[in-house]
Amino acid sequence: MTPKASPNRAELLQGTLDMLILRTLLFGPAHGHQIAKHIQRTTDDVLQVEHGSLYPALHRMEQKGWIISKWESINEGKREFKFYRLTKTGRKQLASEQSKWKQLAKAIALVMSPASNEE
Amino acid sequence: MIRHRLKSWLTSIFKRHAAENDLQRELQSHLELETEEQHESGLPADEAYYAARRAFGNPTLVGEDLRESWSLAWLEHFSRDLRYGARSLLRSPGFSAVAVLTLALGIGANTAIFSTIDALMLRPLPFSSPDQLVRIYSIKTGIADSFGNPDGPSAPDVRDFAQRSHSFQKMVVYDTWRKNVSFGDLAGEPEQMRVGLVPAAYFEILDVKPIAGRLFTEDENQVGKNFVAAISTSLWKDRFAADPSILGRKIRINGEPYAIVAVMPDLTPERMESGLLDSPKVWTPFAFSDVWSEPSRGERGYLALARLKPGVSIEQAQADLSVIADALAAAHPVDQGVSVSIKKLADTRAGSLRPMLFLLMGAVSLILLIACVNLANLLLARNSARQRELAVRAALGSARGGLIRHLLAETLLLSLAGAAAGLLLAKAGLASVMMMHPSDLSQLESLEIDWRVLTFTLSVSLITALLFGLAPAITGTRLNPADALKQSGRSGTAGKGGKRMRNLLVATEMAMSLMLLVAASLVVQSLARLYRQSLGIRQDHLLKGHFYVPGVRYPDPAAIARFCDQLAGRVRALPGVIDATVTTIYPPNNGWTQMLGIPGHPATRIQDIPAAQFGVADVHFRATLGIPLIRGRDFAESDIATSPPVALITEEFKRRYFPSSDPIGQKIHIGPPQFMQLPPGAGVTDSSDVTIVGILGDFRNNGLALPPEPQIVVLYSQHPLVNYGFKDIVIRTVSDPSSLAPAIRRQLHDLDSDMPFAEVQTIEALVEEESGGQRFTAVLLSLFAVAGLVLAVVGIYGVVSFVVAQRNQELAVRIALGASRANVLWLVLKQGLQMAAIGAAIGLLGACATQKLTSSLLFGISPLDPATFAVGAALLLAVAAIASAIPGMRVLRIDPSAVLRQD
Repeated sequence: MTPKASPNRAELLQGTLDMLILRTLLFGPAHGHQIAKHIQRTTDDVLQVEHGSLYPALHRMEQKGWIISKWESINEGKREFKFYRLTKTGRKQLASEQSKWKQLAKAIALVMSPASNEE
Repeated sequence: MIRHRLKSWLTSIFKRHAAENDLQRELQSHLELETEEQHESGLPADEAYYAARRAFGNPTLVGEDLRESWSLAWLEHFSRDLRYGARSLLRSPGFSAVAVLTLALGIGANTAIFSTIDALMLRPLPFSSPDQLVRIYSIKTGIADSFGNPDGPSAPDVRDFAQRSHSFQKMVVYDTWRKNVSFGDLAGEPEQMRVGLVPAAYFEILDVKPIAGRLFTEDENQVGKNFVAAISTSLWKDRFAADPSILGRKIRINGEPYAIVAVMPDLTPERMESGLLDSPKVWTPFAFSDVWSEPSRGERGYLALARLKPGVSIEQAQADLSVIADALAAAHPVDQGVSVSIKKLADTRAGSLRPMLFLLMGAVSLILLIACVNLANLLLARNSARQRELAVRAALGSARGGLIRHLLAETLLLSLAGAAAGLLLAKAGLASVMMMHPSDLSQLESLEIDWRVLTFTLSVSLITALLFGLAPAITGTRLNPADALKQSGRSGTAGKGGKRMRNLLVATEMAMSLMLLVAASLVVQSLARLYRQSLGIRQDHLLKGHFYVPGVRYPDPAAIARFCDQLAGRVRALPGVIDATVTTIYPPNNGWTQMLGIPGHPATRIQDIPAAQFGVADVHFRATLGIPLIRGRDFAESDIATSPPVALITEEFKRRYFPSSDPIGQKIHIGPPQFMQLPPGAGVTDSSDVTIVGILGDFRNNGLALPPEPQIVVLYSQHPLVNYGFKDIVIRTVSDPSSLAPAIRRQLHDLDSDMPFAEVQTIEALVEEESGGQRFTAVLLSLFAVAGLVLAVVGIYGVVSFVVAQRNQELAVRIALGASRANVLWLVLKQGLQMAAIGAAIGLLGACATQKLTSSLLFGISPLDPATFAVGAALLLAVAAIASAIPGMRVLRIDPSAVLRQD
């Protein structure tokens, strides 16, 4: 399951990582590894989240107040993870990014395959 | 303050440290989990670890990326604002350059001038409780002009003031005399210098204590016991290499030995008033045989210094002394019409330059005002032109705080650049002040930038910048973006308030720069007139020098006369010398006023006694100086000691005292009339009579600026009672006069090796020096006037080009609807001219209001000279017209169709 194993890997569109993280956290608190894994799994390994962009993104979003973090232990305290959870602002941000994204996707779709619009 | 800053800095470091640990922990846990997963999927433990590391990427790089995002948010924002501000300033280099230049001029000029003025007049005197120190003057009223100026009191008067008054701790009368001083073979050439004749009280009043040795005793103020001297520290260093065993060494003053008993600090009031070169560096006791006797009461011209009792005001002290002076005037005929005046010692600094310095202070303050007004104007214009940009940014969601922060950064950048440039300018300014300062201002020796002044000018301009830089931002961001967008789109005019404000500012600028222009032009014209002044002699190729024939070796007037005649004879024989005269006078100064008895001018009161400038010379006087003989005859070689005394008078003398009769052949009595009861020999008197034999053309004898006073010249050989040792020699040469100075000095030393040749200078150089103060003022004022004018032009240019840009559409509509371009151009020009006209009117009123400040510096021109006013105003209007025409020309290039299609 190394990144090299997936030939269909796609580059993340600039600015969409934040949205994906926010969307992931909508299901509940998660730590960095879970977030990365979740995005990877739900996209059938198409989107590989680079750790080099994941953590800076998380910290940036925390500074903006979209998410908050807390160290929590799992497995009876054997190990600690930093869990991120969505804030109210984060929820609003997600909504606005989602709608922007939809518009964008629709627009791109119109350009790329005009016929599909009539379907 | 500092502690607080330190604290916040430390916490930020610790916080950062904590965050760093946090990150390490987070990345570590991620890595561990990844390793576990890889292991579970079937890889051996060590391979799983490397696989996890590979999947993770470079943890250091991740850390670095993150750390960047942590750096304090405001700092990042602010530095971004600064960068953005710098970019947007660079994008309008014209505006930025002008704004920085404006600030630099205002800050630089003011810092330089106020630092100078502070050094000259404002700094507290370097004596203890300097506010208690006063000078005492006698004022004689109602005689000749030169008597109206404050004069020194006489010793008996000061003694009576001291005994009868209640306002002073101590009072002292003293004097300074030019004497020949030799320091012994090892310490170099003899030198003629001013020697202070002072009792110990002089130093006690100043609270100046000897660096080594002791003050003079009371006993030593008696003639015969007075052969002790104090020397200044600088002299001790220059002449004696700071020899520690200096006390007890002998110096010779006017040929007599004096033992050094003290080394004194350099600083005395004389040093501040007359500068390094001419201030006393040697002091001897105040020992005169007859100075305290009653007949000496009329012998004025001494210096007097006193220290007020604590808490006594100068007005109280003045009232105290005035009562005493009235009593003295009633008791003694020679004190009739003599009143007393006291001045703070601090106010006598910088002497005759005070009015000029006040004028410069006013002028440079105007520059600062103009600069601030200009800056305000520039910022107003720029920011209201950006109203739209700001509105767009606000509409796009930029927070108001962000906009203000951005403008703040811009303003700050401008101010800092301006301050830096201003500092450079101030340094350059001070350097040039030091270079051209009139030589008699010793206090400029230690001239440097006054940081208080710099702080002040900087804050004034910073406040202006912030006020006008941010005001539109604050009101602008409060605007509803929609309104602002709509407004600036079509209607294209600034708010009425802003427009009126700008016009007012420009008019103010114009007014102030016109005031400067008028003042500068008046002073320059005065200077030109001063230079054009004829001295009344042929002033080219003349050299003058001073020597003193000491009474020790030349005990009687005949010996003095013999020495002078010998010297003049030797000098006349030198190659390159046309003629030479030994004299006590040469233009443009004289300084010896003599009371006279003239037929037809009986005097019973002191105010009515005829007086004239008095000179004593040899028979070559007129020929050497090249003074025209109007009538009668010149002195002749046949006028010798034993022949009847003769005199030459000037035309002004004839006008004053012989308006309708022929003076030639008339007899004049030299000296005050009998009723003043002065015994012969007291004061500058000579009871002999002289016969007027010739009338000379007038020559300057009261400075360059004042008209010549009546003048009488007699021969020293015929007037032994006024034949003192103080003499000048004036030489007319064939070629460059200064080249002859060494030869003349050699002749003097051949006759007497102990006699210094002092104050050697050409007459032309002397005239230059006399007008030094005026030249200084003229140069600085002209610079200020030019600076003011430039600033005003920039101001008007800025406003008009702003208006043109703002009214672009309106003007385009007018053109489209058929207005001629000339009409439209006039519309624009009118605006500039209106401001200039209003400014000019206010400026002329201002120049009238401040005429008092200029009048004392002017010569031969009225402070309200109509031609100067008219030309100044016309120049201002012309410049304003050009400054508005340049942006106005843009109107001519307007393409209505293009403009109207915009937006």
